[in-house]
Amino acid sequence: MSIDTIQEYVPIILKGFWITVRLFLWSLIFSTVAGFILALMRISSVAILRWISGLIGWLFRGIPLLLILFYAFFALPEISRSLMFDPFWAAVVGLSIWTAAYQSEAIRSGIIAVEKGQFEASEALGMTKRHYMRRIVIPQSIRITVPPFIGNAINTMKQTSLAAVITVPEMTLLARQIISEDFKVAEPLLALAFIYLVLTTLLLMVQLGLERIFRLKV
Amino acid sequence: MASLVSVKGLKMSFGDLEILKGIDLEVRRGEVLSIIGPSGSGKTTILRCLNLLERPTGGQIDIDGQNLCNEDSDGQMEYATKRNLREIRKGIGLVFQQFNLFPHMTALENIVEAPMAVNNVDRSTAVEAARDLLESVGLAKWADHYPLQMSGGQQQRVAIARALAMEPAVMLFDEVTSAVDPELVGEILLVMRHLAEQGMTMLVVTHEMNFAADVSDRVLFMDNGVVVEEGPATQVLGAPQNARTRGFLRAVRDRAPMDEEQQ
Repeated sequence: MSIDTIQEYVPIILKGFWITVRLFLWSLIFSTVAGFILALMRISSVAILRWISGLIGWLFRGIPLLLILFYAFFALPEISRSLMFDPFWAAVVGLSIWTAAYQSEAIRSGIIAVEKGQFEASEALGMTKRHYMRRIVIPQSIRITVPPFIGNAINTMKQTSLAAVITVPEMTLLARQIISEDFKVAEPLLALAFIYLVLTTLLLMVQLGLERIFRLKV
Repeated sequence: MASLVSVKGLKMSFGDLEILKGIDLEVRRGEVLSIIGPSGSGKTTILRCLNLLERPTGGQIDIDGQNLCNEDSDGQMEYATKRNLREIRKGIGLVFQQFNLFPHMTALENIVEAPMAVNNVDRSTAVEAARDLLESVGLAKWADHYPLQMSGGQQQRVAIARALAMEPAVMLFDEVTSAVDPELVGEILLVMRHLAEQGMTMLVVTHEMNFAADVSDRVLFMDNGVVVEEGPATQVLGAPQNARTRGFLRAVRDRAPMDEEQQ
């Protein structure tokens, strides 16, 4: 094993870099929107909404992501031809639903951590629930939500590697191709690990930035 | 003169625990009523019932001619609808023991939020009114500070200004000096004294006996969920008729423990 070979493999694997990044970003966007809706449903006063949200969370946190990806790619088209996605979008669907189940918990925990007095002060001033959720509660919940939210995002970033098994040509798939062509294992895997580390480190820096932005002014 | 606040037979229970056992009270327009009593006597619960932050389990409440809740002939409670309740709450200013300012907003933003959102006041009018209010509570220079940058006394004065910005008909004060350092109590009481002098109708739950004596028109002493004694401030605080009132006042003034049987 040599540093030179590792350096040689990095640019080859980087050809899958943008696919990994796009997989991650689309999944992050969809899962954030869906997670937010699921979180609001979970704290709704309407029982059926709470129930549906709880069921979705229980289901997609309770089964392996690999299974969800298989299902999105191989099984959905059997249900309806309109649900046939190319591998990339099938992976986005699976990753998004799986991540949303976790993000909804991160977002919900932020909302319920806002002090009861904030709700009471808002109601005593005659504000509608819609207004004080938007202006008072959710802005304060973001500060609490950021760390678990980024934690989930980092997980999703790493789990994009599972898309390789449904033939998405992202970085892990390219690394596996190198292994089967060059019969070298350590170098391509180290190169791959290095790139993932760079990406997850960037996310940790985003977390520090967000924590600074939403810090309460003391 | 008609009552601004009218409470009849107010009852409140949490599960099996009966907090209020049938409270009657009336507050006339421009009157200051102080509610005193040992902790756990139900003082705070009365205030919270007055804008339905707690839902009473019995009795009737009317404020400024609007009905918050009443009990029908079968003992079933009827509460104001959500929409009516928001309408009624506009006219009731509530100041909390813990301030409950919005920590992500400056003092000024705290004050203008509700007038703009609830009363559709335009921003420049709301800001102008808020600056006047901040000046009246002695915080003109603190408009752009965040709550956590202020002392407890300052925060509570902002909270009073925030409630006043809705131009309420009655102000409710829930032990508003209990969470601040002793040397900062005076600045809050001064603001409340000015308010009383300007004719504001006030219900004040307090442990500040001197304030109750100086500022209130009437004082109500309660214990164990019932009103024990009620009357002009000079009478209830100066020459209390009831043994429990006397015991409580002695305990507060001398910082002596209350007699077991009086607790």
